[in-house]
Amino acid sequence: MVNYDDRPTKLFLYPAIIFMVIGMFVGVFIAFNGFIFPDYFAGEYIHFGRVRPVHVGTVTLLWLLSANIGLMFYFIPRLCGVSLWRPELAIAAGVIWWFILIIGNGSYPWGTNSGWEYAELPTWISWLPVKFLFTTTWLMIVLVFFMTIANRKFKKLYVSLWYSMGTLIWTSITVFVGYFVINWVPEGISRVNMNWFYVHNLVGLIYTPMGLAQAYYFLPKLANTPIYSHRLSMIGFWSIAFIYAWIGTHHMIHGPISQWLQTTSIVFSIWLFIPVWTVVYNLFQTLAKDWAKYLESAPIRFLMTGVLFYLITCIQGPLMALRNVNEITSKTDWVIGHAHISLYGTFTFFAIAGIYQVIPSICKTPLWSNNLADWHFALNLWGSLLFLFSLWVGGFLQGLMWANWANGSSYAEFHQNLTRVPFLQTIADTRDWWILRGIGGVMILFGNLIFVVNIFNTILLKPVDQPESSNQTRMV
Amino acid sequence: MSEQLEKKPDSDTSPLKPHFTQRLEASAILTIIGIIVLFSTAILATLVAPHYVDNSWTSPSSPYQVQMYEIEDPNIYISNASSGGSNLQYLHHLKDGLNLLAFKESDNLRFIYEPDLEKYITLQDDPILKLTSRLLLLRIPEYEMKDKAKDLESDLQKRWKNAEHKKKEGIEKIFYQILELYDPAKKEAFSYNPSEGILQNWIEENFVILEGKNRQSHHQDYGVVYVQNPQEYRVKSVKFGSEEKWGYNPQGEPFNTLDALMSAGLNFHSRKELIAYGEHIYAIEGCWYCHTDQTRTLIQDVVLNGSDSYPAPPSSPNEYIYQKITFPGTRRIGPDISRTGVKRPSRDWHMAHFWDPKTASQGSIMPSFKHFFDFDPRGTSNTKIGIPNHRFEAIYQYLMTKGTRITPPTQAWWIGKDPVRTKEIIEGQRALGAGQS
Repeated sequence: MVNYDDRPTKLFLYPAIIFMVIGMFVGVFIAFNGFIFPDYFAGEYIHFGRVRPVHVGTVTLLWLLSANIGLMFYFIPRLCGVSLWRPELAIAAGVIWWFILIIGNGSYPWGTNSGWEYAELPTWISWLPVKFLFTTTWLMIVLVFFMTIANRKFKKLYVSLWYSMGTLIWTSITVFVGYFVINWVPEGISRVNMNWFYVHNLVGLIYTPMGLAQAYYFLPKLANTPIYSHRLSMIGFWSIAFIYAWIGTHHMIHGPISQWLQTTSIVFSIWLFIPVWTVVYNLFQTLAKDWAKYLESAPIRFLMTGVLFYLITCIQGPLMALRNVNEITSKTDWVIGHAHISLYGTFTFFAIAGIYQVIPSICKTPLWSNNLADWHFALNLWGSLLFLFSLWVGGFLQGLMWANWANGSSYAEFHQNLTRVPFLQTIADTRDWWILRGIGGVMILFGNLIFVVNIFNTILLKPVDQPESSNQTRMV
Repeated sequence: MSEQLEKKPDSDTSPLKPHFTQRLEASAILTIIGIIVLFSTAILATLVAPHYVDNSWTSPSSPYQVQMYEIEDPNIYISNASSGGSNLQYLHHLKDGLNLLAFKESDNLRFIYEPDLEKYITLQDDPILKLTSRLLLLRIPEYEMKDKAKDLESDLQKRWKNAEHKKKEGIEKIFYQILELYDPAKKEAFSYNPSEGILQNWIEENFVILEGKNRQSHHQDYGVVYVQNPQEYRVKSVKFGSEEKWGYNPQGEPFNTLDALMSAGLNFHSRKELIAYGEHIYAIEGCWYCHTDQTRTLIQDVVLNGSDSYPAPPSSPNEYIYQKITFPGTRRIGPDISRTGVKRPSRDWHMAHFWDPKTASQGSIMPSFKHFFDFDPRGTSNTKIGIPNHRFEAIYQYLMTKGTRITPPTQAWWIGKDPVRTKEIIEGQRALGAGQS
């Protein structure tokens, strides 16, 4: 039996769980202070524009990416059958990682936002080269993983390792392009194009393969059943590798960018149906032998709901790339909803499922309370449904209102329609949906506070005596 | 699962030939090569190729755009510190051989000059505008020119009295401004421009450059920006108690070099600097999370951004080539800003709006930007709004570039020229998508 070194896992996972609720708290704050009671807390350092990147950066980098790396530190050695290569290097990387990301993300209210979406991290804060240190740390982690895989005992690579290796390469290139190369190309649309390439790969080639690696590893673990089809998972992997890098431009449909490039991105976006179908079918078939497990275990519920959300994400994505759908949905809250269902509804749910499996395993103790885990899932599910549907419906209605301005057979008629529904009216009409979104956000935040309590009690305390509740769940 | 995987290698030696995908599984190297090949193909096609294929990504939209960003912006200096902050001082840094100047007389503006400078004057009725790249300036007549000016004025008044139309209009006396054109014999100078407007002096026909077109490359364009009737910028400081104030004063002292201007502590910044700083502010304040900066090729966008009678042209890639960061945006919680310079040119409007958007436009959810203003300790300004500081001037100058620099003002869409013919698209006279650039 190999003795696995889980210190890097703990170093990445524990703070990430804390930052999840911090990031979500900031999100709830801006949902209220930006939209429901706009600018109630006003001022240079707290207005919407300066706080929003703190929310986005905290949940994407400090929570999701860190948690994903923590989980990879757990399952990559176990799939290779060897202990981690040079765990000290991983620990050093972890220390720099937290240092630089906490400073970088915390600095936005003081005006360090670098102005590119998802690449807001400043190049410099005083003498600290933030982007450079972040990239270096990432490369240290990549080295540790690749050396671990190179030293593996099991010759066969399980599908999670394929996805992991893919993400290690893709992330390195994507981050390099989005952080540095973007400054070396001509000003204007070339940079915009490069930024959208980076933005979409961040989701498609970093979070997606990391999330799917987790799903493919943790579902068989949690349900104690082998994966339905390896070949299907391979098709999914290669279609992701083929498709994602082409579709960044679909963020600029109808925008000032070459039409042929827009069309290319639309065609590739449609092909995304292939990988999503393989993943969803494969994971559902895996659990199909024993659906009762869905009711027994909150982590499995998280995972399978995540898969469903993944299906919705990847139906939305290609459809939103179509020119006529894009005309309505683009630039509305629908887009915000779409971003949340993928990074929160899908990949955060996957990571949560993974954490429920990993924490008891590395602490060698059962989960502190299954009851709380059930509550955690219920609050997250209903909160996220409220949150997502209010954004989609509100956004779609606003998009329809905008499109209805454009009516009539002469410019004069068009313009009359425009003055009849002023822009601010569409904002006023969206407010009710923003209130629902805020309520959904509060539910999610509350659910995840329960999660934090449950996980850290598992780590620190002995399990509570709960014969009744565990019996109940088993009986179902 | 690990145990299962451990056994798998045995299957390689089994008589049943494994499917090729399973054999691929054995090779991590092939995986990596495959990933890199697929990824670099995508990078080549979507990131590298476009700006070679599509020259609108890098080539300017018009010579006007080039001259505005490269000739005007670096040479226009703006300060809001002259008189409590409400008035802008707006001046041109003129360089011999670079800037084109025109000296054009009008109804009540006349010039006096030494005989050798006569050729630089465009008379009121001249059909051709004379431009020069020689550095000449106007000033209030000095020394012996003072008398000449007096003579000319009384002469003009006499002529006015005898004129036929005088009785019709019933004006007894007209005020004539008489300025002296002179050669300062300097390589650089500063001229005062009382206007704060965004429209530049631009000419594309009926003009002549007296020195020929070869002194600067932009002199060879089909049209040029020029400075009309530059008056030398002079400053005089006045003491109010312990406080020292300064402002434009024709009797004051001129600045001979850029260093002198910058070290005088009058808080001048070039417009180029302000625009770049405005872009930085736009980034750090997160304006771009709520405002898009693109007029899409959608009817709703061109109408929304258009004027009362004309639609705005959709954004083209080359509008952005002079920006370090471009903010196309993902979300419109506030209106699009790509045509703000035309739709909202008023500095007063922007001051009121940044100070408190919720009162300036009812129902807005935009935060207030009171940190763009300084506290007014003496309460001397006549509004409740604070004194705009350099952050306001920067973001204002940045916004004023939006939509104003695509084509020269003579061909601009807001006066109905509609160079990309969007109105025809809206009214169905042209197939959608046929002429989008």
